[in-house]
Amino acid sequence: MTYRFSTRQTLAHGLLILGAIIVLLPFYVMISTSFKSPAEIATGTGGVFGSQALFPDPTCLALGGNETECLVRPVRDNYSQAFTAAPLWRYLLNGVIVTASIFVLQTLIAVPAAYALAKLKFWGRDAAFALVLFCLLIPVHAIALPLYLMLAKLGLTNSYAALILPWIVSAFGIFLMRQFFMTVPDDLIDAARMDGMGEFAIIWRVMLPTAIPALLAFAIFSVVAHWNDYFWPRIVITGDRSLFTPPLGLREFKGDLGGDVYGPMMASATIIAVPLVVAFLLAQRRFIDGITLSGMK
Amino acid sequence: MSDLASLTNSVPKQQRIARPERPERRQARAGMVLFAPALVLLILILIVPVGVAALLSFTDYTLGRPSIDWVGLRNYIDIFTGSSYRKMIVATVLYVALVVPASVFLGLGAALLIRSLNVGQSFYKTVYFLPVMASLLAMAIVWEFALHPTLGIVNRTLAMGCGTPLELWSWFARSCIDGFPLWLGDRDYALYTLAFIGIWQSFGFNMVLYLAGLTSVPNDLYGAASMDGVKRGWERFRLITWPMLGPTTVFVVTITMIRSFQVFDTVEALTHGGPAKSTYVMIYAIYEKGIAQNLVGLGAAITILFLAFVMLISVAQRRFVERKVHYQ
Amino acid sequence: MKTLLPLSTALIATMATTQAHAVDIEVGYAYSATFDLTFEQIMQEFAKSHPDITVTFRATYENYEDATNTVLREAVANTLPDVSFQALNRQALLVERGIAKPLDAYIAAEPDFETDGYHKAMLDLSTFGGHIYGLPFSVSTPISFYNRDILNAAGVDTLPATWDEVIAACQLIKAKTDKEPLYWEWNISGNWLLQAAMWSQGVPMIKDGKLNMDNPEGLKALETAKAIFRDCGMKNVIGGDAAKSLAAGDLGMFFSSTAYVGFVDRSKVGDWEFVTAPYPGIDGAPQALPAGGNSAMLTSTSQDPEVLEAAWQFIKFTTSGAGAAAVALTTGYVPPNKVANELLMEDFYAKNPNKLTAVNQLPLLSEWFAYPGDNGLAVTQVIEDYLEAIFVGDATDMEELRDEMVEEVNALLPR
Repeated sequence: MTYRFSTRQTLAHGLLILGAIIVLLPFYVMISTSFKSPAEIATGTGGVFGSQALFPDPTCLALGGNETECLVRPVRDNYSQAFTAAPLWRYLLNGVIVTASIFVLQTLIAVPAAYALAKLKFWGRDAAFALVLFCLLIPVHAIALPLYLMLAKLGLTNSYAALILPWIVSAFGIFLMRQFFMTVPDDLIDAARMDGMGEFAIIWRVMLPTAIPALLAFAIFSVVAHWNDYFWPRIVITGDRSLFTPPLGLREFKGDLGGDVYGPMMASATIIAVPLVVAFLLAQRRFIDGITLSGMK
Repeated sequence: MSDLASLTNSVPKQQRIARPERPERRQARAGMVLFAPALVLLILILIVPVGVAALLSFTDYTLGRPSIDWVGLRNYIDIFTGSSYRKMIVATVLYVALVVPASVFLGLGAALLIRSLNVGQSFYKTVYFLPVMASLLAMAIVWEFALHPTLGIVNRTLAMGCGTPLELWSWFARSCIDGFPLWLGDRDYALYTLAFIGIWQSFGFNMVLYLAGLTSVPNDLYGAASMDGVKRGWERFRLITWPMLGPTTVFVVTITMIRSFQVFDTVEALTHGGPAKSTYVMIYAIYEKGIAQNLVGLGAAITILFLAFVMLISVAQRRFVERKVHYQ
Repeated sequence: MKTLLPLSTALIATMATTQAHAVDIEVGYAYSATFDLTFEQIMQEFAKSHPDITVTFRATYENYEDATNTVLREAVANTLPDVSFQALNRQALLVERGIAKPLDAYIAAEPDFETDGYHKAMLDLSTFGGHIYGLPFSVSTPISFYNRDILNAAGVDTLPATWDEVIAACQLIKAKTDKEPLYWEWNISGNWLLQAAMWSQGVPMIKDGKLNMDNPEGLKALETAKAIFRDCGMKNVIGGDAAKSLAAGDLGMFFSSTAYVGFVDRSKVGDWEFVTAPYPGIDGAPQALPAGGNSAMLTSTSQDPEVLEAAWQFIKFTTSGAGAAAVALTTGYVPPNKVANELLMEDFYAKNPNKLTAVNQLPLLSEWFAYPGDNGLAVTQVIEDYLEAIFVGDATDMEELRDEMVEEVNALLPR
């Protein structure tokens, strides 16, 4: 197939590239800064990847080393500090544990509920849906303290349970899946019932397979939101560093009086963003295929 | 109910083995059972804390105090008579009014542009979705750095335009002399800057939703329309694409609106509600009063007001929109 | 901030040499970027002299307000650390809530307490209702930071000693150079520098539980603030950014906590001459200054006397002798402990005269007030808002502003 570069296409590309530059600006700054030495960061020099001139590490100097012993290359120093000053591997692992648990539990609870709301008529169904919509409006910041007090009474603060439990019911998930389930033709379900399938089986063997794109969309939403959640873990994890999630690791570099330690912080931010980008790229194919297929139905 | 009655009452499309129970009954029961876990959890995790907050809003509770006193409506009165609370509503409403239309239309525009491309769709999709995926804390810090008055790349790039024809624009000329705005530190610009970051962060998500919605617009509609003489471009969009995107638009607007009302991370990381309370949005006020200043009762009162406010707007929006949306 | 590796090595070393029963204590402190190094150094020494005590550091508090809020939350969940470092002006709240435990019994059991360098002025900072609840660990005073090169270029030969002189110097810098003239960190924690303006005139900001600005000194303080903001064209950036500008050589004068000295030393770019000098006074040298910084408090809920004793040993170690000296060696803060300072006097302060300024101001140390009652933190914000109004030019009549502010604040304070 020959690609004809019409003016339309060029114009479209032009606009999109302009947009892409603005969109990518902070990422450029983030990655570029993660390569630079403190002096270069403070003065904004060094080009894209920093000049990578060796510089003496202040911590090392303060602990008694002399100048030559303490010379480090900026990029290596930033990234290695990201992993040593804060146990980033542990935090990444926590991120995986927490977001995976949350998503699995959310699915187990939201999908049946969504199916019930979409396809089954029961008394109070409209009220139930209104309840779900209302819960969509409730932000975590509004209920953080009462939730914390409840968890404190149960002795569950500073635990994985505290990180996971408040999120296992997702009003957004129920809403999203319900909207999607409503577009599934009833005949499909009736036929399944005809074959003697119970409602529960129908959900997992008939509805879910058709809902993969919606589920993926929800997965993206949920995983991203909880991987990057900073506010709730900060409230509920006080003291036990081994339970920190990735954003809390970032915070370790947030400086105080002197300002942030930008180099390692941007290195951490880059490392934290990478798994999500990779996961998205992998899921994106499936996501697109799923949508295209359902679109052609 | 006898078996005969159940046979005549059900609506069979084909021969059916008589079941001891009406299918509707069984479905209804299944529905309730399936929804039950979600119901219990919604109530326990979301409704009960709101109830607790409502109760606390009538007290003067602070963390660590052994006693707790009922103060009735005093917290609410303080809110309505204080000047900073008026700024809270203004900041919140203004932020939402800036972010929602821009984010929705940019998402739509990006989706349309990307769909029209022959090559590179995947690339742009990923690029535009990146802000959604990045940690907001990290990105806020990066933006803060980029918007730094002297060290930041934004002002340094703008400064490069001094001495060029750009100076014909009077604002630019003035800035070249006085220095470019402080953006986040400037009372007149802070909220707009935050809105920009909010739009930057959210339109990619809307783009993905619109891409999904566009795929579900049946192609035969376009075929039929062109046979009816509908020209390409704007006409086609206005008569077919836009109405067919109705449900998607409802969803996108709802979600974007809800999330803009809940903006917090950027405010807490970058402006702390300032300067001069120009970015003092409601959720930040809740955090500041309830957690940072340890006035839990007052924070709870603002929470209840927030929920009431948002519910009102959501109901109004649904009423307004439902009338105009075309569902298949 | 290579905290974890050396710390864990120290811990392992500690455990390896431990005897039958090792006691565990948990400690929380604020401002990781500033104090991580300090505690690393302290632990190196502590592990040697107390091999039977294992110290686990909790996640650091972001700032002093976070330190208090975290401890309050932990009190509710009953997960308090054994030792917590809290801002000097936040101690009263923890004492009031019964979270901090009195140290008198431990002090009485110490044979050489006075000679260890603890003097009355220092202990006064943590004394409430006649009992001592904490030992000050790191103390700061407001000081002036100057870029001598810029001052010379503007023709300012002597360092300003009063605010009037500062304003005059500022005008000169603005006229003769293209650098930023000054920055005054008006919104640093707890209206600290406004309290400094009051203490400079010998007047405490809080008296009998009310805001004590209904006097000529209060008016003068606000007028000075207005002059600094408006007559000099001070830019509305945050303290950290101004410090960065200073370090980069772009700022002429900077007025804030001595804690920044360490930062400027580390991040200094270029060859400009960095000097610190005493904080300017109003119509003369300051009569007193508020003490910033934090103290070590005993917050343990343990019933085990061994744990409590271990916590006390840690508190004592960090606030005296070599432990305390680490504060001066690694940060811009000073240890308020006399003996620790004398240890450093010969060598260290000679080489780091910029850190000596705060030490010389130690005799002026006075209380850093926290506004009493539940609305304490809200009051801080109210005062900040009023100062901001002056800054952005919304308020021009200082007397009117002062009256409004006093009325609003006193309405929020407990009757």
